[in-house]
Amino acid sequence: MAVRSGSQRDSPPPIARADGVTKRYRRGSEPGRVGRLFGRSTPPEVTALEDVSLAIGSNEIVGLAGPSGSGKSTLLHLLAGLELPSEGTVTFQGTDLGTLSTRKRTRLRLEHVGIVFQHFHLLDSLSARGNVALPLVELGVSKSERRHRATELLERVGLEDRVTHRPGELSGGEQQRVAIARALVTDPTLVIADEPTGELDTETGLTVLEQFERVADDRAVVLASHDQPTLDIADRVVRLRDGRIDEEATARAPSGTET
Amino acid sequence: MSLRTLLARWYGVAAVGMRRTLARTTHTARQRVRFSVLGVAVAITLLLVVTGIGMGLTGGTTVQDDGIDYWIVPESGGSSSPLVSTDAPQFGSVHETAETIRATEGVDSVSPVLSQVLRVSSAESTEYVLVVGIVNDGGVDQISGVNVTGLSHHDPYYNDGEWTGEVALSRSAGATLDATEGDQLTIGGNTSFAVTSVDGDTSSAVGDVPTAVVQLSELQTLTGATAHDSADQFVVGTNDPAVRADLEDVYPSSTVNSRSEMTASQTMDSDLSVALALTAFVVAISIGTLFVVTTMGLELVADRTQLATMSAIGLSSRTQLGIIAVQILATTAIGGIVGAIGGLAGIRLTNELAMRTLTSEPIAFSHPIFGLYGVVVAVLIGICSLPVLLLVTRRVTGGVPQ
Repeated sequence: MAVRSGSQRDSPPPIARADGVTKRYRRGSEPGRVGRLFGRSTPPEVTALEDVSLAIGSNEIVGLAGPSGSGKSTLLHLLAGLELPSEGTVTFQGTDLGTLSTRKRTRLRLEHVGIVFQHFHLLDSLSARGNVALPLVELGVSKSERRHRATELLERVGLEDRVTHRPGELSGGEQQRVAIARALVTDPTLVIADEPTGELDTETGLTVLEQFERVADDRAVVLASHDQPTLDIADRVVRLRDGRIDEEATARAPSGTET
Repeated sequence: MSLRTLLARWYGVAAVGMRRTLARTTHTARQRVRFSVLGVAVAITLLLVVTGIGMGLTGGTTVQDDGIDYWIVPESGGSSSPLVSTDAPQFGSVHETAETIRATEGVDSVSPVLSQVLRVSSAESTEYVLVVGIVNDGGVDQISGVNVTGLSHHDPYYNDGEWTGEVALSRSAGATLDATEGDQLTIGGNTSFAVTSVDGDTSSAVGDVPTAVVQLSELQTLTGATAHDSADQFVVGTNDPAVRADLEDVYPSSTVNSRSEMTASQTMDSDLSVALALTAFVVAISIGTLFVVTTMGLELVADRTQLATMSAIGLSSRTQLGIIAVQILATTAIGGIVGAIGGLAGIRLTNELAMRTLTSEPIAFSHPIFGLYGVVVAVLIGICSLPVLLLVTRRVTGGVPQ
């Protein structure tokens, strides 16, 4: 796997940035008024991330490593604006996401962020092309243009003969490639991928990683993984442990490799 | 956002909603979606069958045929309809008046009409039959769906004292009395009647009342209406709308109804059928809405991961609500189409069962427009379900897809 140069890591300004971010979740739901009347107490909190700071520069691939429950996915969700931090700030191109309404954060994702999920999360009732073209519906792109752009991207990820197939008719690797095409269809500045090869066999995983390297040429990519070959494509790897950045392990890891 | 972009967006939303509905109905969520479709279809089927029976109850009781354009009926403050009156005021000197009307320019045919339910006996059976007395002037081929061309013209018994004893039977009367052409009948105790024909328009036979048509003066003799030469109404055939003004002057206290007014009156005066149709409508809307809200609500909750995915990739709440609204309306419309087919089949089945067990004629009315009615009501069910389901969508969407 080719290792990209880490020279872009100093390129200012960062696309996305987390500053002193802490994220806590409650175990279970908050008691309502009736619940409180019957003495139900507020459930305890669990800290998923604690005081994490990270800057993502343009044109760099950042890998997030760490064991299960270390907070990789939570950090990705915060960077994508899917969730808001309990403490600290997440900024995207200089805008504090905490100051934006849900509607504006959704719009920001549409225009600037592409997301690839571990479990693909394709809409099973739409064809591969329909899934890829879906974000363009929101942008009011004409039908012919939607079809053209979606087909072009599917060709780019090697699925030109699977355009009209529904997700149920595609293999895991093909579904993940459709998900990559969907993430790129709006030409985002940041692509976020959560365990993009987690559901794939080694060979298919390598094919998907090649796609990632190809698409990362002109945009920032943050990918979370346990998998060493996946992390190998990153310019730098940030290692998380128990919701915190493991500074020592991160510093030990040379560019493009993981400890 | 320009109008073109806006249109492209909403066209896309509608297309995605339709594609999702079709794919989920036929492939990805067949069982759940089909359950919703089935719920609406059952509600629409019941609606159409009950409405058909209600309309069947209305039909076949009026002196309404192709050659008749106006009805002159006495003004009445009572509750009786201008159809087959039983307790309403009657006109007098009707033969003389019929001649006057016939002399009016533009009038093609006219007949006074007297209706009575009388006991009629054939060799085989005895039944109560609606007996209609008319003056056949050759201008009208059918009265109350009975072919009257076999009756002598100009009421010979009134003019010459010559008793004809002619009676034309509707098909239902013929079947009920088991009588055919040439058979002798006893009407109201008078044994001197012979069947001239058993015929009529079967297309108007829904809810058909067994009817016998005789000469007016002969029916007046049977019912004691000769003293004032009485009849319930006049039917007039004409191609000239200007005739209406002349008809309104014939009797000082009368009303002239056109064909459309008579149809409306017929429907509205039939309280039972209107009540049945209205009840079926309200029940279908209520049951259908509750069913759709429940099944589609569960469907939306099951679909929350896909809704969250839409949010994650940047689809706004408005777009998601649009897609869900299209899915709901498309699902109920499919239910409406299935229900309409089921309803028309149900009416046919009802008539078949009724004719095998209860009646000699169909009891439920059927018309192709029922199909459209079923689909429209199904879409109304969808519209009634929308607020709750869109609220559910708002509650379950967003967050991180799990």
